Amino acid sequence: MKTLRILIALLSLGMSFHEISQAQKKIKVVTTLNYLKYVVQQVGGERVEVFALANPKQDPHYVTATPRMNQLATDAALFVENGLTLDPWAKNVVDASGNPGIQPGSAGHLVATINVPVKELPLEVSRAWGDIHPQGNPHVWLDPFNVKIIAENIAQRLNKLDGANAIYYSDRLEVFKERLDVAMFGAELMKTLGKKGGDILTRRVKNGELDEWLKARSMDTKLGGWMKDASKIKGTRIVSYHKTYVYFCDRFGIQVAGELEEKPGIPPPPQHRDAMVELVKRENISMILNDNFYSPDAAEYISSKTSAKVVVTYIEVGAAPEVDTYEKLMTYLVDKISEAVR
Amino acid sequence: MLRLFIALAFSMIFSSNHLFAQQKDDSRIQYDELRRELTLLRMQFDSLRAVSQAGGGISEDGADALSERFEKRIRELENKIDAVSRSTASVVFNPRTTIFVNVAARADNNAVFNAAGIAKIDNRPFMRTVELDFRAPVDPYAEAVVILALEDEAGTGFAIDPEEAYGLIKRLPILETAPLGMKLKIGKFRAPLGVNNKLHMHDLPWTTRPLVISRFLGTEHGEFFESGFNPTGVDFDFFLPKFIPGATAEMNVDFLRAGELAFSEGAENKQPAYLAHLNLSWDWDNEHLLFLGGSGYLERGESPTSMMGFDLTYRWAPSERRTSRSFVAGGEVFIGKRTSVDTTGSEIVAKPYGWFAYTQYQLSYWLYIGARYDWLQEPTDETLTTKSLSAYASYYTTEFLRFRLGFESRQSDIPTQNNLNTIHFEVNFVFGSHPTEPYWVNR
Repeated sequence: MKTLRILIALLSLGMSFHEISQAQKKIKVVTTLNYLKYVVQQVGGERVEVFALANPKQDPHYVTATPRMNQLATDAALFVENGLTLDPWAKNVVDASGNPGIQPGSAGHLVATINVPVKELPLEVSRAWGDIHPQGNPHVWLDPFNVKIIAENIAQRLNKLDGANAIYYSDRLEVFKERLDVAMFGAELMKTLGKKGGDILTRRVKNGELDEWLKARSMDTKLGGWMKDASKIKGTRIVSYHKTYVYFCDRFGIQVAGELEEKPGIPPPPQHRDAMVELVKRENISMILNDNFYSPDAAEYISSKTSAKVVVTYIEVGAAPEVDTYEKLMTYLVDKISEAVR
Repeated sequence: MLRLFIALAFSMIFSSNHLFAQQKDDSRIQYDELRRELTLLRMQFDSLRAVSQAGGGISEDGADALSERFEKRIRELENKIDAVSRSTASVVFNPRTTIFVNVAARADNNAVFNAAGIAKIDNRPFMRTVELDFRAPVDPYAEAVVILALEDEAGTGFAIDPEEAYGLIKRLPILETAPLGMKLKIGKFRAPLGVNNKLHMHDLPWTTRPLVISRFLGTEHGEFFESGFNPTGVDFDFFLPKFIPGATAEMNVDFLRAGELAFSEGAENKQPAYLAHLNLSWDWDNEHLLFLGGSGYLERGESPTSMMGFDLTYRWAPSERRTSRSFVAGGEVFIGKRTSVDTTGSEIVAKPYGWFAYTQYQLSYWLYIGARYDWLQEPTDETLTTKSLSAYASYYTTEFLRFRLGFESRQSDIPTQNNLNTIHFEVNFVFGSHPTEPYWVNR
């Protein structure tokens, strides 16, 4: 009887150790883009080990899937891609990884933007329109509200894969969302409105009624963060090289007058470049946003014939030391545009 | 053969139209359901407003503001439904389809004949290939790829050929996880004997395949037309544990139908033939890529045939491609060995070898220039050598449309090929849902 008790005790102890080791085992996550890596790290904390495949300085549309990437994904528990045909090379990696757990349709495969409200859904899908995205503009992460949805998607998937740490992921998700809200609206306003402040303000911004709502409650002076900083550039008209900043500009009240690319993915032809010179002059546009991986030749040509400044911008987390977090990336973009307006 | 192709094309068009019509009906039903839902929402809102007007506790201003927001949301939803129903409904469950069309013309200073030495092919244009590429998941465990090629038979007519047709098994119900990331390919495919043999004609950075690939590995109509080694068999593709720091080691082990390699000259050897390819690769921030590979092929039997190959590819493409510059260089060498018995009963051992080296530089977003040098001993008589130097310029409007102009100068111990100068002009266009190319040379 005594021996049996000892055996049961040892068995229980063994099972406890097994449960603890399972709970402490890190989940290997592979992401296509670096902003996704950052979000997974914020939600997963020390329970995850995350690798991003693309070089953050690269054009995310055109990344060469290599054997190094394929092997990295071989034993991943979760593969996260942006989707919306921004990173179609992800399919090459998933296929070549030989990892059944991350194939589309598996719990280990996540399209992070699955329920993000997309803009610019094309009415006609044809190559005649250039390198268009049939499911809408994929540069969704440049709107912090979309990143909150993406973080929720990631947290849900981590919960599914690692239910033992569900509370841990949910807590970290809330902390991350709160941090984004503070960065968006400022600490003072968030403190005044309390725990639900982020949701309330997000709804007001989405309905285009934040200013009136804050004024009606005499809280407009408490607004801080990116919304406050961006209020100085609200209404500014800009031109961008590619349709990269649609979400960013919509969120912060900046107007995109046009793109240097006449059709997405195709460098601007001379006639279109000259038409853009006329547009910039006519509408008194002060800046041209040019992603770091696109040739600045067209933007510099237009700048040489007008008073518009060329602003070369990073759009990925980790592309430069000053944008090594998502929060810093957004601050950097707001500041860069503000500086160019001055 | 042409009739067969036309019949096949008609049946495919008919079946895809039928599927398309069915999917269109399905999306119409979904669309109608969502419209009904929106109408219902509107009715609910109107009844809410009626309650409010009857003193139900909601102010008129509040109801108006709510109404405005509802209307805005409804408009957004309607736009989205509209766009989605137009943009994606037609592709549900259909295989992704891509068509590649390759047209090439040549101008020569001498008469040039096809491989059989019958038809003249100099100074004329050819519709070299039309490839139809279909691919789709079969079920949660496998994916299928079928690439049908309508090929010009060196000016003597057209033939339809399954360039590749294989199933890619990703997992099995009895084996959910495969060791070392193993993938299993079953069917007919371009074999991993070197690197360039795996590329299709429309993906080549040159107008013609390197001489050593077309003559040692496979050609029916000469190197100006589609060639290479695409046997039927099984391919196991897996990663090896890291044994060189920083390098990824990938291995292919194949069991193939023997006698299909051009160098084996249709010998009735034992089945199957064996092929292995080891690829070591280094990837520095996706800017510098280096591939180093070795292949071994073996057929046993009355006329034992073996082939060794080594390949090297280096690619540089800056991550911030502000100046649209890139550089590719590489080469492959093949060494064959075939033992046969002549009419007197004596053993003849042929050990020819050949190689090629190439380089390509990108001058702008659209323009690439490159050169290639070929040298080989003829596989049928190793005392005869052929060498060739070629240069080309490729102009891409996008990755879907390419124009290429090239010049080749050939010296050979074979009189009909000696002092042959040729100008090539090639147009390649691709339409449909072209999948992303791995290790793409021009992006």
